[in-house]
Amino acid sequence: MSALAKPRKRYRPPVFPFTALVGQDLLKKSLVLTAINPFLSGVLIRGDKGTAKSTAVRGLAGLLPEQKEVADCPYHCDPDDPFFMCHECLERLDAGEELPAVTSPVRVVDLPLNATEDRLVGSIDFEHAILTGRKKFLPGILAEANRGIIYIDEVNLLADHLVDILLDTAVTGVNIVERESVSHVHPARYMLIATMNPEEGDIRPQLLDRFGFVVSIEGIHDPAMRVEVAKRRESFDASPRLYLADWAEEEALLRDLIVKARKTLSRVEIDDRLIKLISVICHAHRVAGHRADIIMEKAARSIAAFAGREEVAPEDVHEAAELVLPHRARDFQEPDRREDDRDSREDKPQNEEEGPQEGDQDSSSDGEMEDKESEAAEGTQSADGKNTAAPEPSPNPGNSTEKAGPDPGGYQEQVFKIGDPLSVPTQDVRFARDSLNRSSGGRRTLTTTNNKTGRYVKATSVRKNNDLAFDATLRAAAPFQKQRPDVGLAVKIKEPDIREKIRQKKTSNLLLFVVDASGSMGTRLMTETKGAILALLMEAYQKRDKVGLIAFKASDADVLLPPTNSIEIAKKMLEELPTGGKTPLGRGLLVTYQLIRSQLRQDPTLLPLMVVITDGRANVGLDREKYYDGPQFGEIYREIYKICELLEAEDRLKSIVIDAEEKRLGSFGRSKKLAESLNAKYYVLEDLVDHRGILSAVKSERGLAEEEKR
Amino acid sequence: MKRRQVYPFSAIVGQDKMKLGCVLNAINPKLSGVLIRGEKGTAKSTAVRALAALLPEIEVVEGCPFRCDPREKSKLCPDCIERLEETGELPAARERMRVVDLPINATEDRVVGTLDLEHAIQKGEKKFEPGVLADANRGILYVDEVNLLDDHIVDVLLDSAAMGVNTVEREGVSYTHPAEFILVGTMNPEEGELRPQLLDRFGLCVHITGIHDEESRVEIVKRWAEYEQSPEKTAEKWAGEEKKIAEKIVNAKKLLPEVAISDEILLRIANISIALGVDGHRSDLVMMKAAKTIAAYNGRSAVDPADVDACVDLALAHRMRRRPFEDMALDGKSVETLLNERTSRKAQSRY
Repeated sequence: MSALAKPRKRYRPPVFPFTALVGQDLLKKSLVLTAINPFLSGVLIRGDKGTAKSTAVRGLAGLLPEQKEVADCPYHCDPDDPFFMCHECLERLDAGEELPAVTSPVRVVDLPLNATEDRLVGSIDFEHAILTGRKKFLPGILAEANRGIIYIDEVNLLADHLVDILLDTAVTGVNIVERESVSHVHPARYMLIATMNPEEGDIRPQLLDRFGFVVSIEGIHDPAMRVEVAKRRESFDASPRLYLADWAEEEALLRDLIVKARKTLSRVEIDDRLIKLISVICHAHRVAGHRADIIMEKAARSIAAFAGREEVAPEDVHEAAELVLPHRARDFQEPDRREDDRDSREDKPQNEEEGPQEGDQDSSSDGEMEDKESEAAEGTQSADGKNTAAPEPSPNPGNSTEKAGPDPGGYQEQVFKIGDPLSVPTQDVRFARDSLNRSSGGRRTLTTTNNKTGRYVKATSVRKNNDLAFDATLRAAAPFQKQRPDVGLAVKIKEPDIREKIRQKKTSNLLLFVVDASGSMGTRLMTETKGAILALLMEAYQKRDKVGLIAFKASDADVLLPPTNSIEIAKKMLEELPTGGKTPLGRGLLVTYQLIRSQLRQDPTLLPLMVVITDGRANVGLDREKYYDGPQFGEIYREIYKICELLEAEDRLKSIVIDAEEKRLGSFGRSKKLAESLNAKYYVLEDLVDHRGILSAVKSERGLAEEEKR
Repeated sequence: MKRRQVYPFSAIVGQDKMKLGCVLNAINPKLSGVLIRGEKGTAKSTAVRALAALLPEIEVVEGCPFRCDPREKSKLCPDCIERLEETGELPAARERMRVVDLPINATEDRVVGTLDLEHAIQKGEKKFEPGVLADANRGILYVDEVNLLDDHIVDVLLDSAAMGVNTVEREGVSYTHPAEFILVGTMNPEEGELRPQLLDRFGLCVHITGIHDEESRVEIVKRWAEYEQSPEKTAEKWAGEEKKIAEKIVNAKKLLPEVAISDEILLRIANISIALGVDGHRSDLVMMKAAKTIAAYNGRSAVDPADVDACVDLALAHRMRRRPFEDMALDGKSVETLLNERTSRKAQSRY
């Protein structure tokens, strides 16, 4: 029992000194700032593997000044701050008890991706219950991280139900637990530091917003610096103790700076004009809500404090904007592109060529982020003096970049615009009133999982998984305790009492669009097709479905969008989808088949739905070198039907074929045949009136899939 | 954590509709809650947490875990009924209305209540242990990010919200207790929509966006910075305002039963519902109650047409037949225009 009360000592490996990190200045700066002001609510580090992300975070912990905490409090309350104290400490304080204080380093608590919900929020202390017959809350990761740092590696892969918990606690600073027979509230004020590799998919915008700063980093390209990185690492590994001693002075210097800045922080003043500048900048970037304003103000003050100043300067605001805005400016485009922009900007802080440009909601010019950033710079400059009006919400007349209308169709002849997903044709009441559609589309697909992952929803007495439901087991055993012979435990559990958890996990559907982008697809069809895909994308996001896009044209097929849940990337790819050339339908299907196979290998619970949009007029075969003209032409379709057989053989796959052939020019009916050989639902695009028709077709197909599953 | 000083309600800049929606529910629990929809960082949760400090006191049966109303004999919990039968009276106490949190990761046993584990182990008897729904009886049940709530918990909520009763049949306990709560939810529509049945449970609905006015934005940043630096100071600074609202709520609560509503106004309400094509009659009832509450809040004992107009989008925005991708709003149309449109249409069809 006593072993439980004491916090377990954990093995702490030596940590590479923060100050010894080569380069990555933006990252270091942002981490130092959060160390100065914990209210900045954390940093998200985007970048490739092996770019010192984790090393920097662990190093940061070593730099943080030690903090006072109540010795025996599982939540590490501050004995001098009744304000944020847990209930137990408060009670002790009220009872006149002197709280035993210790100083200890700031904890960095890892949240592994495979953590279960009960470990994150805490649950019933099973051991305690069996020994004493009393309920007790067993604190989880959130408790451990109170007044510390939660570190999540690859946060974009974190399970959805864990993200939900973080969303909630990150802002409230309180963990409210109502589960597994325990009801408990405790402070959970933690700083969230996470890393992600953008290639593996994006994180939910809502969670993104919880991070104060986002920093994108990449490996260092300068050879001399690379050598330095290797050398330093080598000597650290050779003897961590000696190496740490070498850097002790540097570390102490920075630590002092942080401590000083922390003290200065409360005295830092910010002029009203600068607060105004912040609002103007934020507003110009059309950030959602007011969190950006608030964090930017805090960041600017922290930057000033770090510089040892007691007044915020306009440059501080500029610097803050750089850290706070990139992930908040709305309608930012493809993240990878954003990083490129950032890198180029780092060398050349202000891009001279590009004038300030107010991003239109639907504008999607590639350089938008860059524009925005330089605009922020502009705003700052204007602040130190005369012109505080800063960015006007109209494009600068001297702007070199033409402002595109609501569609990007202008810059490439054969890129058709996306049919507007938001305007609803008034005559289309049929869909709006179709309650059947809504109910089938309104729920996410749920499956019961068998591998101890997912959310605990119920308990069962059926044994098969060895996934013990502590609370339910205890409750099952409880009423019989009086009758059972005493074995020295408060609760005697017998075989029939044992309950197991039923867990539920949201399985995602995979929506794969296989789009014919050949020249034979007309303008109108392409526009409508894009509109339909976009509408489905938006819905797919809300259901956490994955979406992929494969286009075939000329002689090849490309996976334009590997299955992702990032709607931003998908939208971008869609906007840029060019059309023209021949119709390599066979290749398109083959590439799709390979993709589906590999996706199913990764996640066997996936439900793929393939939507083929084509006019069916294939005229290129699989082998590009081979000619299929004349009598060989039939070969093309033989190939296609073979691939169809393969696809048809996939049990989990459902397919839809949407015939995009313009019938008024005469029909070959190839798409229909294609649908038959795929055993797919067949629709004619023209019959579907507009893209909302495509939408409901896909929805009803998916609805069926979900029904069957249940 | 009792001493945590929340951000004062009156210090929230702008967002008047949201504040009105919250206050109205504090005055009149029959409005059955408010749903606050809005983008990130628009003080949704802040408002609800701040509301807790303004809630009026209610009369409860002393020691009753469900806080039964001693005057409302028809809605007593089983224990209070027993007590009443044995002693012939119920001791009353006053207690502030509560805001009870329902975390989205709650498990069903804690929501509805279940077997009292400790009691069962020690005494070998089966006793009911009240859950979150019991705590929320006659108070506010607050669900942050309500659109992320698990379906099986939503089912439970719908059940008891409809009947005002929580019936538990699980793990060998069988128990029924009153569960009349004001459902307050916040959500960000970007993360998905609510199930229609749950949406309909919310009496009122507000859709809020960030404030674009520069001055207000500056004010927001300043007030928040001040609050973070010293919550006590902020609390002190706004104590006067807070007290004013709290008193206004208490007075309105007293006045509410006396507020009269004329047939003319009821007709206006009906016309609005028809003009906006709202299904069912719940909208009329909610609008009537909301209009009465607004009148009471403004210290009047008769409902003005303006009271109705003030609550139209609160009561109707989420009840109008929507088409996909359409936002829940009245498109900024005034009530007059709506009604005029309707009368002119009527006139046209007549001649």
